[in-house]
Amino acid sequence: MDGSSSSLKSAALLEQMKLHLASDAGKDLTKKIGLVYQLNIAPKKIGMDEEIYVVDLKEGKVTKGPYKGKPDTTFSFTDNDFLSIATGKMNPQMAFIRGAMKIKGSISAAQKFTPDIFPKPSKL
Amino acid sequence: MAARDLVTGGAACAVPGTASSSNPFGALANTILGSSSKAQELKGLPGTSVNVPGSSSDFGPEAPLTTIPGSEYEGQQHQQLDARNSEFLHGFRTADHGFEDAWDEIHRPPVLSHAQGREGQPHFAEFEQIYDHSGSSVLQPTWDGPPQRVLSSFLHSFVDSGRAGVPFRPAALPVLGLSEVDKQCIRDRSCIMARHIFADKSEEFISAQVNALLHSLDIDSDHRIRGPMNGPFRELEEYWNESQGAMKSGMPNSADRWVTEFNQPREIADPEAWAHSFEQLHGANGWASEFEQEQSQMASIGQLSGGNMSNVAAMEQSRMLAHTLAQNTNPKFQNSKFLQFVSKMSRGELIVDENQIKPATGSISADWADEYQAQYNVSPNSWADQFVRGELSQGTDKWADEFAKEHPQHKADDPWVNEFSKLHVQDWAEEFGQQVSEGLFGESSADNWADAYDKYLDEQLLGSKQQSSASRGVYVFSDMNPYVGHPNPLKEGQELFRKGLLSEAVLALEAEVLKNPDNAEGWRLLGITHAENDDDQQAIASMMRAQEVDPTNLEVLLALGVSHTNELEQPEALKYLYKWLQNHPKYGGLTPPEQADSLYYGDVARLFNEAAQMSPDDADVHIVLGVLYNLSREYDKAIKSFQTALKLKPRDYSLWNKLGATQANSIQSADAILAYQQALDLKPNYVRAWANMGISYANQGLYEESLRYYVRALSMNPKADNVWQYLRISLSCVSRNDMFEACDSRNLDVLQKEFPL
Repeated sequence: MDGSSSSLKSAALLEQMKLHLASDAGKDLTKKIGLVYQLNIAPKKIGMDEEIYVVDLKEGKVTKGPYKGKPDTTFSFTDNDFLSIATGKMNPQMAFIRGAMKIKGSISAAQKFTPDIFPKPSKL
Repeated sequence: MAARDLVTGGAACAVPGTASSSNPFGALANTILGSSSKAQELKGLPGTSVNVPGSSSDFGPEAPLTTIPGSEYEGQQHQQLDARNSEFLHGFRTADHGFEDAWDEIHRPPVLSHAQGREGQPHFAEFEQIYDHSGSSVLQPTWDGPPQRVLSSFLHSFVDSGRAGVPFRPAALPVLGLSEVDKQCIRDRSCIMARHIFADKSEEFISAQVNALLHSLDIDSDHRIRGPMNGPFRELEEYWNESQGAMKSGMPNSADRWVTEFNQPREIADPEAWAHSFEQLHGANGWASEFEQEQSQMASIGQLSGGNMSNVAAMEQSRMLAHTLAQNTNPKFQNSKFLQFVSKMSRGELIVDENQIKPATGSISADWADEYQAQYNVSPNSWADQFVRGELSQGTDKWADEFAKEHPQHKADDPWVNEFSKLHVQDWAEEFGQQVSEGLFGESSADNWADAYDKYLDEQLLGSKQQSSASRGVYVFSDMNPYVGHPNPLKEGQELFRKGLLSEAVLALEAEVLKNPDNAEGWRLLGITHAENDDDQQAIASMMRAQEVDPTNLEVLLALGVSHTNELEQPEALKYLYKWLQNHPKYGGLTPPEQADSLYYGDVARLFNEAAQMSPDDADVHIVLGVLYNLSREYDKAIKSFQTALKLKPRDYSLWNKLGATQANSIQSADAILAYQQALDLKPNYVRAWANMGISYANQGLYEESLRYYVRALSMNPKADNVWQYLRISLSCVSRNDMFEACDSRNLDVLQKEFPL
């Protein structure tokens, strides 16, 4: 199964993100934000069996595995919470306050991590 | 000035003019020093206790249950509160020397002796001041007396067994004289606790654990676990539901309750009032608060396991944030509930967790603060970097490692230890360094934070009903349904569906399945309607009911496969698509007779390709293949499959939508919009296609356009929650914050006027 060694739901969204970054809208994003985010996504519990993705809005790409270098901000959350954030169900500040999202690195960079940077999945 | 001096000297330093007067670096130092001294104490001096007189020395987690006296206090714990508290306060005041010594010994690690004179005194003064201030009105349930302690130790061992993952053994306890109310309380709370602690265990295991606990306490377990709780514990149930909704992420349970407690409308600046309410709440639930307090203590030494740790971690995290944000000078921010929350929070910690007491004296430190500020202005980045990467950071890492080693019951890779140390030191330090070097938050972002806090607090007050209601796979019926009592709601529902009045059709079909719960066709059509109305959760719930009644219905199986695909739930989607093949009269023979335990995507895809070769003119096979390729994100193949199917079924509007959605997901948005247009020509009220249109515009960065389509979709189905979310994102992208209110209050009239299509 293509690219789905991951059992995470987020993997589907990040796959879409990868394609999205190649589009015009995606290129605007890299111009506008220009930051590197590392996402540590856990299936159930933060910190457990995490899969690591890098959303590089400097270079405009999404890769699996830890960032080589220092990402501007690293987020840790569960699969579901990440999706909730990316689809606007839960705002990132709220997620942080609730302990559903942990932040390491620059908070001002973290504040640019908003739901509008992610493409929305369309429904069949 | 070296980083280390800054840190150790910082505990007594206040940042002038802020609500949270404790210097963040001081807090950091306290955290490190306090925790490590606590660790030492645990290792070397099992008999010493940080607790002030009145508490016993065998208070620790491993305290033997049977040696604790207490039966003589039988049934008296509530009546005796006042007497015992004044006794405690008396003891506290007379034992000043002993206490001060103990305090110093525990809180000042020998390494940092030069800091003692500066730090120890304010520390103690602060502590005493608190007690003087709140005076006799503070009831401290912690010191309630031996029966409580027996209980708490016993509950402690219950929690410990959860960490070790071993079955909990019942123990013979002295008679505790629990009232029926107490028992009810323990029964209910232990059920909840157990589910948090054993989140990864089976239901049977949890039941067995709880039974063992309740049995030892001579509580009958009749009302346990299942069924909603009533009365005063309803709010706990809500928290529970909410935390489940968040996929066991360890939603703050006790922390939430705690926040709610603090948020009761009252004089915030009045500690007496606060103390009073604390007494009201915790005096009545003696053991519960003691239990919670012990948890905080355990947490503060990195011992706590299970979901509770993340409660505390969440509190910790907000607190760290609070320290940083408190430096913002924006008046709106300073007056926000958020900051009030912060000040409440710090006051709360004084009581809830004595290890977290923060010195608030600041007169000597103004000079220091200036000096510090000056240093920062000179070379902010290098200092921050030094702090983050330098010896201190290493030192704390080492400390975390050592700590893990010294406590053999925690493995070195204990995630909680890691998380805890990370939370306390690195994240926070980095964040702080960044904050200061960038000259604090901009105004608008501070507003965002303040708003988020306000919203969070409101949510706590309201008990966030939204999330608890929709547990997965359970159908949620509408409250008011005019079709209940209709002579033939199914026929009515079919009629409405044909007319494209989807939301009305939902109501009629709900009336049908309420009347005839075994009507598979009613459930199926209800599911289809929800899917077209862009609500996959409800679609799945309906289709599962349909499938219960009619397990081999192909349309139902396909619909389940599609909805689970939309929800990104691969394994479930694969399961239903495979069942579709198995139950198909023509292709069922292709599947191996024995049921495989786990399905492999490759096998399923191969079988479907065989089926497509068998009968290339069967549109349905191509449709399922298209869904399958969506699952594996092979969008080009998926698009081809749907296009093949469309040649066979050109008037299938849902097929046009599937093609469009696939194109959209592979970022061919322009094509997608054409496909959606086809679908809408065939079915003008197809909410899903309208919503998808909006998504396609938004994904292309055409937010202004997307608004109109979202609003159109919502005007047809105001219950489409995800569309409301998307609408809000688009509004913020075009800076139409003036429409937030209409969006949040779901005021469609305003929105339709503003964004006509």
